[in-house]
Amino acid sequence: MEVSDSILDHLRHVASLPDLTGTRYELETEIGRGGMGVVYAARDCQLGRRVAIKIVDASLAGEARIIAQLEHPAIVPIYENGVLPDDRVFYAMKLVTGRRLDLYIAGSVSLAERLRILRRVGEAVAFAHTRGVIHRDLKPQNVMVGEFGEVYVMDWGVEAVAGTAGFRAPEPALDRRSDVYSLGALLQFLLPISAPPALRAIATKAMRTDPSARYPNVPALLRDTGRFEDGLAVEAWSEPWWHRLQRFGVRNAALLWLLAAYVGVKFLLFFLRNL
Amino acid sequence: MDQDTAIGGFQHQFPSTQVSLLEAVSTGPSSEALDRVVALYWKPVYRYIRRKFGTNNEDAKDLTQSFFMSALERDLFARFDPLKASFRTYLRMAVERFAATQHSAANRLKRGGGAEFEPVEEQAATTESPEQIFEREWQRQLFSLALDDLKAHCEGYGKQLHFQIFEAYDLTEERPSYALLAARHGVAETVVTNYLAWARRTLRACVTSRLRGVTSGERELRKEMRLLWK
Repeated sequence: MEVSDSILDHLRHVASLPDLTGTRYELETEIGRGGMGVVYAARDCQLGRRVAIKIVDASLAGEARIIAQLEHPAIVPIYENGVLPDDRVFYAMKLVTGRRLDLYIAGSVSLAERLRILRRVGEAVAFAHTRGVIHRDLKPQNVMVGEFGEVYVMDWGVEAVAGTAGFRAPEPALDRRSDVYSLGALLQFLLPISAPPALRAIATKAMRTDPSARYPNVPALLRDTGRFEDGLAVEAWSEPWWHRLQRFGVRNAALLWLLAAYVGVKFLLFFLRNL
Repeated sequence: MDQDTAIGGFQHQFPSTQVSLLEAVSTGPSSEALDRVVALYWKPVYRYIRRKFGTNNEDAKDLTQSFFMSALERDLFARFDPLKASFRTYLRMAVERFAATQHSAANRLKRGGGAEFEPVEEQAATTESPEQIFEREWQRQLFSLALDDLKAHCEGYGKQLHFQIFEAYDLTEERPSYALLAARHGVAETVVTNYLAWARRTLRACVTSRLRGVTSGERELRKEMRLLWK
């Protein structure tokens, strides 16, 4: 049977659409593609709300099921799952409205807000690690920031996912420390040009080629960014003495001002007494 | 103009039980695996040679035929390493090496006597690279074979109406409305929706099956599927 170019394109499209006949969902449009499958917007006809439907190949169903069991504020909740007539698996989940991280930080976003997002992402990844799941493909395009500032880590990877250049760790077999690398790459991406050297050092340490030279796990990385936020010395950077002094000054500004005021008053009293 | 060819044949059998290419090679004669490969790859190889080397229709057919014959003689499948590349890429590179050698040998013989090249206007008819043409023809042939499988399946299981509705809607440039199709066949619109969904689903299964027959295993199959579906 002969097939023209336009019919070929049409067939490639329609044959890949999920057949949701017999489910409560009505397909709308494709909204994304990831390592695990294609995501569509759909309408839940029973509850009258819009949802996201992720279609996963049958061979990845086992891994997808483990990922679907992750319950965390920064991981998109799954409402329901099922099997399509062609054996592909579908997951109905919350339809996240917001902006992708790379688009979100293109606007005017403070350093504190950037670090807050990194922390949310890191907490979700650390939680997943405790359940034996690694992300494998952390990158700005897989993080969504909702309209109320909520952060979601999307597109949790499976064995077959290869990662994305620039964010993927160099080792061939990915493990938890590969996510540490990707989180470091994400931090580097989030940092503005004028970022403090301590934060750059944290990103550099997380992205070391040798996995054993990186942070041992995600919480260790987050603790170091936390130290920076608290005005403490970070583990990743041996700072010069003048920088330490400056940081001491910033951290103890109120105390130093009080001390200066005390010395000033004392001096004034001494001066008046000797008039 | 580009002349078409029927060499390579059509297979009408529903291929739901095809095993992977490597399995077929290890458990049966190489010629069986080659039949599958020829059915899917004859036209892509033929068009690739025409575009890459500017050969005329007959020379391209001869070169394509020679390539598949030598593939059998040289045990092409035994040297395929799925860790290095997909079978599709491996085959295209093998064709390129083979055709380049044969083509330059033929040109040496004809030097001074005027080797035959495609007329310039035919060469300029497309801006696609030979590799793009190969990929496109591969997809086209995969769907052509899968459509043959679907049609045979519908005929075998008394689902001719399913195929007629699918053909009228998905295999034509101007798609009639569901209402018009329902009226034309004397069924409800929901029947049209359901029949179309069934046919598309079955077509997908036919494509998967054909693809499984020419890939090394599940990993390569999944990779090819990801590239194939829009």
